[in-house]
Amino acid sequence: MAGAASLRQIAFYGKGGIGKSTTSQNTLAAMAHYFDKNIMIVGCDPKADSTRLILHEKAQDTILSLAAEYGTIEDVEMEQARLWGKGLFDKETPGGWINCTESGGPEPGVGCAGRGVITAINFLEEEGAYDEEGLDFVSYDVLGDVVCGGFAMPIREGKAQEIYIVMSGEMMAMYAANNISKGILKYANTGGVRLAGLVCNARMTDREYDLAKELATRIGTQLIHFVPRNNIVQHAELRRMTVVEYSPYSDQAREYKELARKIVYNDMKIIPTPISMDELEDLLLEFGLEDEVDESQVGKAAHEA
Amino acid sequence: MFVLGFHFPASMGNNVPDELVAEKIADVDISDVNEIKLLMGTKDKDKVWLSYTNKDTFLFRAMVHYFKEENPDRAQKYMIYMNRYQMSELSKRLDAADDETMKLCHNLDSMEQFRIEVA
Repeated sequence: MAGAASLRQIAFYGKGGIGKSTTSQNTLAAMAHYFDKNIMIVGCDPKADSTRLILHEKAQDTILSLAAEYGTIEDVEMEQARLWGKGLFDKETPGGWINCTESGGPEPGVGCAGRGVITAINFLEEEGAYDEEGLDFVSYDVLGDVVCGGFAMPIREGKAQEIYIVMSGEMMAMYAANNISKGILKYANTGGVRLAGLVCNARMTDREYDLAKELATRIGTQLIHFVPRNNIVQHAELRRMTVVEYSPYSDQAREYKELARKIVYNDMKIIPTPISMDELEDLLLEFGLEDEVDESQVGKAAHEA
Repeated sequence: MFVLGFHFPASMGNNVPDELVAEKIADVDISDVNEIKLLMGTKDKDKVWLSYTNKDTFLFRAMVHYFKEENPDRAQKYMIYMNRYQMSELSKRLDAADDETMKLCHNLDSMEQFRIEVA
């Protein structure tokens, strides 16, 4: 495998719309800015929104779109597909740097996202992107759908070794987190991939910390950080910036800094022990988020029950 | 595994004993602190000052440690959500007999923001 022995390859997974790209970019920004880490982002989602806050752009050209434009991947140049971060994250700026790539993918409903991811990874490997001097981390931002071919590609290719699942205290986000841990388990025994923690991107629902922590404990991992909801994240996004750059002394920047510190020093990487759907529902009951429902009430509206 | 920001080796698993966390803050000097003041609330809402003076508890010690860490000017400090949730979680086990502390833990469990000062 290409890259220095000390290179860590991490990936952010989670339910669609949970805030993976926002959380990952803000966290990676904090790792670069506060801890001098040099990072390459590999966006693995056809939406190609994994790098916009680092680049201050709407969306960069994806590797697949460049290949389509030139007719073949062999004609794509590294300088076109890999862009250096702007502002704080430029290679010329003191502190860590971030460079950015997006795999791209098919139009919605057409083709397989996994093909885009594998093409991008092969391209980056052949062009020496993993051998960039000083590179400390490669981060894969992966699409949310666990049954899509693109989901497992960074793991199957032996790339992503350390998985962070972004979730919240809402049932479907917890369901997805548990499902993703099943996906990791499938590859953990044959490869080196490990679950490194849950990141709760809080929706500020009742007892959210308790629920997220309990789920983490049950699947054998840690709740590595609870990121509170704060409007400053949206304000920064409107300017296509991370919070770390937009307002480095804000409360939210401190939260991302703490998450970044924990990822930098994290050594807890485990083979997950996913729970059953029944156990997950019991968990919600246990924390009082669902009233116990008898079978006769299933499918009835609130005014009927 | 991280508890109150402290790193515990992965070999300990995901259930670090409370005593090991308490040991980490056992040496914090609380002699120069008589009162912890917590500002509870967000900028959009009314804010409330809470006072906490029970020095014989894990929670007091944990808060003084949090306040003093990397804060030589003793300036008001934002409380990281995860840290204060964990402080409350531990305090509910270690300070369970103290009603004043349990009342404060109830506040710490909320979604409000907290800032800490000492006097």
